[in-house]
Amino acid sequence: MEEISILDSIPDLNNFKTFTDRYFSKRYITDVDGIKNNDIMIMFHSNRIALLSLAPSHFFFSKNEEYKVNYTVGKVDRLKNSVRGKSKRGGQQLSPKSIICKIEFEDGSGFEIPCCMKGTLVEVNEELVNQPKLLKEMPDADGYIAIILSSIAISEATKSELLTHEEYLKVLDSCEIKD
Amino acid sequence: MNQKTIIKRCKELGCCDACCIRYLGLKTPSAYENAQQFVLKICADPAGKPQTTETDIKPEQVAEPSDNHLGGVETEASEGAAAAPSSELNTSNDLLKADNSSGIDDSSSEPLPKRMKVEGVCVTCLGILQEENWPQCWNMVKEMLEKKRYECPTFACALSAPIATILRERIVSLQLKDACAAYDDASLTPLKEAWKWSFGARLARHVRRALDSGAVAPLLVTLNIEYPDDMQELEVLKALSPGLFNARRAAGRRFGVEFTRRSVEQALAGATLEALRSRAQLHEAPPVRARAQCVSVVCTHAPLYLGGRYVKLSRALPQTPWLVNGVRMMHSSVQEIICQPIAALYQLGVEDAEHRLKFMSAGREDVDVRCLGDGRPFAIEITDPTRQPSEAELSELCEQISASGHVRVRRLTPVSREDLAELKKGEETKCKTYELLCIKLSPSVDDELTTNGSASEHAGGAGVAVTARDIARVNAYRNTPEGDAARVLLQQRTPVRVLHRRPLLTRARRILELSASPVPGHPALLVVRVRTEAGTYVKEWAHGELGRTRPRLGDALGARADILALDVAAVELDWPRRPAPAAYDSL
Repeated sequence: MEEISILDSIPDLNNFKTFTDRYFSKRYITDVDGIKNNDIMIMFHSNRIALLSLAPSHFFFSKNEEYKVNYTVGKVDRLKNSVRGKSKRGGQQLSPKSIICKIEFEDGSGFEIPCCMKGTLVEVNEELVNQPKLLKEMPDADGYIAIILSSIAISEATKSELLTHEEYLKVLDSCEIKD
Repeated sequence: MNQKTIIKRCKELGCCDACCIRYLGLKTPSAYENAQQFVLKICADPAGKPQTTETDIKPEQVAEPSDNHLGGVETEASEGAAAAPSSELNTSNDLLKADNSSGIDDSSSEPLPKRMKVEGVCVTCLGILQEENWPQCWNMVKEMLEKKRYECPTFACALSAPIATILRERIVSLQLKDACAAYDDASLTPLKEAWKWSFGARLARHVRRALDSGAVAPLLVTLNIEYPDDMQELEVLKALSPGLFNARRAAGRRFGVEFTRRSVEQALAGATLEALRSRAQLHEAPPVRARAQCVSVVCTHAPLYLGGRYVKLSRALPQTPWLVNGVRMMHSSVQEIICQPIAALYQLGVEDAEHRLKFMSAGREDVDVRCLGDGRPFAIEITDPTRQPSEAELSELCEQISASGHVRVRRLTPVSREDLAELKKGEETKCKTYELLCIKLSPSVDDELTTNGSASEHAGGAGVAVTARDIARVNAYRNTPEGDAARVLLQQRTPVRVLHRRPLLTRARRILELSASPVPGHPALLVVRVRTEAGTYVKEWAHGELGRTRPRLGDALGARADILALDVAAVELDWPRRPAPAAYDSL
C-alpha cells in the first residue's frame, strides 16, 4: 500500500454521517407516560454509554415559545451531579421514571423530560442552561440532555426494548394515518 | 578456637570439606574450588593457622572477609601471602601432598567423620557441595542448554536448595558455638555462594561458557535441588516456635505452605541449642537419609528488546488485536504484523509467540487513523531469547513486516531497558503533528447567503464552501495571548468513546501550531494541520464532541465543521536513538 494523500485515503466523500450517526445507534420511545408525542430518543454508543435527547417528533418542536431548561428536579440539582473514578461512583442513580430536567416556557407552561432507563447519571448538558436554543436546533447533537451509564445488561435490554429508527418511523406513519 | 579445631569439630559433626570452610566463614572463592586440598592444608599446619595463602588469592578477594568475624586472622593471612616467598608455598604444597597420601578419611591423623561415613553425605549441605554428586547436575544443565539452543557465551547460576539445609546449618553453627564460646555462630558462608564458587566454576568448564554474576550475564541457569525429607525434617520447628506456625496456619490461604525459607529463618532466629534440644528434641543434625538431588534445571535468558518505528498505512487496522467479548473485530493488527516474522525467526509457535513477544509503543492511534511520516516508536520484548538477531536478520525482519503492505518498519535495532523507559516517558511528553481532512457544514459568519436563501444545514451543501477568508481565519486563529507558545488552549472532557473505562475529567491541552489549506475540487473540504501536546484528543477538537471539547475547529473556522479523516504526520520522539550495541559487548 503506497502512502496516498489524505483526500484519497477514505473511500467515499459523499457518504457523510454526522458525529452521532457515526458512533451511536438511536432508539426511541413514544408517548411516554401516555402523553401524546412525549417522544424520547436515547442514543447508544457502542461502548454502552447513552445520550438522552428529545425525539424529532416530540411536541416540544412544534411549540414556538421561548423556554428555559431547568435541571433542578424536586430537591435534586442535576447540575451538581459528579462522578469519581472509572466506575463513575457518586453519580445520581436514575430509574426510567426519573426526571432529568424541566422545560419551562415563558407562558408558564412546561414539561418534564424522563430518562426512560436505569443507570447512573454521568453528566448533564450544562450548556442548555446558557443556550436553550441548542435543544431545539440540534437535538441529536449539541442539544443532548444527559449522559447516562448503565451496566452492559441493562443497556442491552433497554436497547432491544426501545424502537429502532425504522420501527420509530413506522410508528410515526401509523399515527399520522390515525390522526 | 583456631581453624583447625573448627574443621575438626565440623568433621566430627559430619560436614564435608566445603562446609568446613563455610563454617570458618571464609569467602574466598578459590578456597572452595578445591575444598579438600584447602582443608588438608589447614589441618597440616601444626599451629592450625589459616592457610589462605594460595597464589591465586587476589588482594581484593581477601579484603572481603575482613568484615567477617574471622577477619583479623584473614588479614594476617593475606599479609603473609604477600610476603610469602614461592619456596615456602612449595613446601606447604609438599606437605599437602604428603597429607593427602595418608588420606583425611584415614584414621591416622584425623578423627573419623563418623556420621558422614554412614552415607557419605554431608549433614549440612546434603551433598550439594560434594563433587561426587556434581556430574549428574552438569549433564542435566548441559542437556537443557543444548535443548534451548542459547548462543550466549556467559551464564550465571542459581541454586534452589532444600530448606532443611537452613535448619541443619543452624544446628551445626550452634554446636560449634557450644564447643567454643568464642566461635561466632553468624559467620557461616552462605551455601549458595560456596556452591557458585565450587560447583559453578566447574560447571562453566563443562558447558563451555564463562561463569559471571547474575547482574551481568543474561543467561541464568537455575538448579532445583530437592531433598526427600525436606518438609518432614522441618516439622520440629512447630514445636520450637508454635506461635509462628499457628499464626501462619490461622492466616491460612495467604501463606499456602507452612515452611518457606523465610518462615524457617524466622523460627530459627534467636533459637538456642537448649531450645532446640528441649523443645524440638533436636540434639544434632538429623541423620541424612539420602543425598539431595537435582530434580530440574531451568534456563532463562534475559529479555531482548528490539526498537523501531512503524508506519501504519491502513484505516482498518488496530494497533493491537481488537477484541470485544473475546471476539476479534479486525483480522489483523500492527502488533501481529510486526510480531509474526519475529516469531518465525525464533521458531516460536502461535501460543509461544503470544507469551514471549510483547509489543510496546509510544502511544497509539485509533483503528481508522493512519500513522505516516517517520512513524511511531515501538519496541518488542522477546522473553527468553536464544540469541540476538544479526544486522542482516534485522533488515530481513523489516522487509517481511513491510511486505504486509499495511505496516512499514524501516529500522529495527536492539535497545536497552533504559531506552524502554524513554519510550514510555515519551508517550506522555512528546508533541505530535496531525493532518486532518475536514468538512465545513454551515455557512461561515461572514458568508453571504446563497441566492436561494438557504443557509444550508446539509453536509457540504451546495451553498457551503471553504473560502479564502475561512482559511485565513483558521490560520490567524488563537484563543491565547499573542506571544504564547500555544495557539489554542483546549478544555476537553473525557471523550464519550472512552468514558466507559476512564474517569470523567476535564483536561487542558494545547494546540501549538494550526494551519489550514483548501482542497482543490472539493469546495466544502479543508485540510488542517495541527501540532499538539501529548494527550490531545484531536478528533474531538475537530468536531467538538457535542460541545464537550471547547473551543473546537468550528470556532476557528467560524462555521460548523466535522472531520472525515485523520493522519498522524509526525511523532516528535527521537527513538530509538542509539545505534545498535554490538552483541554481548560486555565480553
